[in-house]
Amino acid sequence: MILLTSIPDFLNFSPPMAIVSTTNLSKTYETGIFRKTQIAALSGVSLSVEDGQIFGLLGPNGAGKTTLIKLLLGIAHPTSGEAAVLGHPLGSVAIRQNIGYLPENHRYPPFLSALQTLMYFGRLHGIPRSHLVGRARSLLALTGLSDWATMKIKKFSKGMLQRLGLAQALLADPPVLFLDEPTDGVDPIGRKEIRDILTTLRRGGKTIFLNSHMLSEVEEISDRVAILNKGRLVHVGSVKDITAHRLEYEIQLTAPPSPEVLSGLRALCKHVEVSGNRLTVHFFDQTQTQAVLDHLRTSGLALESFSPKKSKLEDYFIQLLKPREEA
Amino acid sequence: MKALWLSVLTLRESVLKGTLLFFFIVSNLILLFFVIALGVTEEGGTTSLTLFGSIISPRGIEGFNAVQFILRQLFAGSTFWVLLFGLFATAGLIPSMLEKGTVELYLSKPLSRTSLLFSRAAGACAGIIFNLLYFAIAIWLIFGIKAGAWEGGFLLAAISTVPMFFFYYSVVAVTALMTNSTGFSIMFALIYYFFSGALAAREQVLYIWWDNPVFHRLLDVLYYATPQISPMIESATELIGPDFMRSRGMESAGGFDPLPFVWSLLSSSLLYAFAAWYFSRKDY
Repeated sequence: MILLTSIPDFLNFSPPMAIVSTTNLSKTYETGIFRKTQIAALSGVSLSVEDGQIFGLLGPNGAGKTTLIKLLLGIAHPTSGEAAVLGHPLGSVAIRQNIGYLPENHRYPPFLSALQTLMYFGRLHGIPRSHLVGRARSLLALTGLSDWATMKIKKFSKGMLQRLGLAQALLADPPVLFLDEPTDGVDPIGRKEIRDILTTLRRGGKTIFLNSHMLSEVEEISDRVAILNKGRLVHVGSVKDITAHRLEYEIQLTAPPSPEVLSGLRALCKHVEVSGNRLTVHFFDQTQTQAVLDHLRTSGLALESFSPKKSKLEDYFIQLLKPREEA
Repeated sequence: MKALWLSVLTLRESVLKGTLLFFFIVSNLILLFFVIALGVTEEGGTTSLTLFGSIISPRGIEGFNAVQFILRQLFAGSTFWVLLFGLFATAGLIPSMLEKGTVELYLSKPLSRTSLLFSRAAGACAGIIFNLLYFAIAIWLIFGIKAGAWEGGFLLAAISTVPMFFFYYSVVAVTALMTNSTGFSIMFALIYYFFSGALAAREQVLYIWWDNPVFHRLLDVLYYATPQISPMIESATELIGPDFMRSRGMESAGGFDPLPFVWSLLSSSLLYAFAAWYFSRKDY
């Protein structure tokens, strides 16, 4: 009889670690002289973010995205519900020791240079000076600010400040990053550079909580997204699932199809749209593709291209929020 | 160590805002005045103090100590103005930390909110206190070197302004946290500054407004529940030549009284504790 004293690694199927988890997290702000007006900024949000992911947080203005980040970092206090970051309860100093944060519209002391800013915030984080100088210089290089290291930041453009903010968030080499609109005000080349930095960081095992209005950007780099609307979580899921094609194809023909060809297609498909030489067809199931192609060939029509139509995150976002907005 | 860095940056911020530099320049002009104007002359076997060559020891008053007289006036006057000036120079430092976009950066660092608040307050006070001590030590040296009068009481009185400003700053800290406004912080602290003088003399100044025992007790509570600025300045002035007033036949002067400092320590501790509690609960 063999006694297993410890489970071998290959048998250890532990679930992925939740870096951020929230359960019914709510925040209501009380305003007015007697605090009689209540504004529900966040209502019963439950979600989980796993290790090594880029997690996009989406929603229209006032949806509660920034409030959620502020609650997770202890900048605001929840009205009800529970949450943990890296297993630590909200408000814990241990959370702030292990995160990097780039707030929206951040303001650094304007009388400091970029290098001084990083040195100062690094010291506030508790990073030893001996380690900090090299780290600050390498981050300035990473964010393309080396040439402006000694320039006072009051002379910086919005894009340069965003890059500095990202460098500041990365100072302590934290396992988790919270980035609130990191590419706001950054030019297209700079945006691409920031996206590349973020994907490199993910490859290095970092978890990134990304709050952005740029849906295409979120779609490009995020693994999962949460969509908030009016303080409520309306969707959580993988970007792949949202953008997966749903049996919709685009067919480019060399000539416009005749009415007879079209009626034959309509008999085979769920839905057909025509725009000149281009057809958009929606199948009932995958097996119909061959039948459609055969029908087009026998009708003497030559195909230029046949490709699955991918949904965009933006389309899904608008589709998801529009009825609610109208209601 | 992290808190120390925040204090250093706060001090740097107040220097770069220019107000402390202005204060430093004015201090140096006053020092220059004494370096040029102060002198000593011997006449009829007695040594007298001069300002621009004129003897400032009045004749006919036996035992009059001109050095102590000038230092007392200088201390009481300059402390009043320094505290007032310090208010303008530092009242904006806490609200500037609480500005949107800045407060999030500070609150996301691994520091407790209490450390943040006290480091900021310490940094704000440090600049004023440094300037004040610099001015006091320089005056002490000028009077010592030029007149041979090494008045140690003046140095002690100058040192007493360190807690004095920190006590006073508790009012600024609470107002700044509750209003998030530099303008309102300055306005309220200024009103309080002059009102505290009236509170110290409430029996002569405020009781007559309304002859009501409840109103009188309320004023008494306010007096003890807030830093007692005027009594502290008056008491610290007594450290300079403790027997000066008695030598002028004014027996009412009772010397240095630590009570205003003790009451101010207690009341400002309460105010700082309230500020820390309020800051720890506030959402940003």
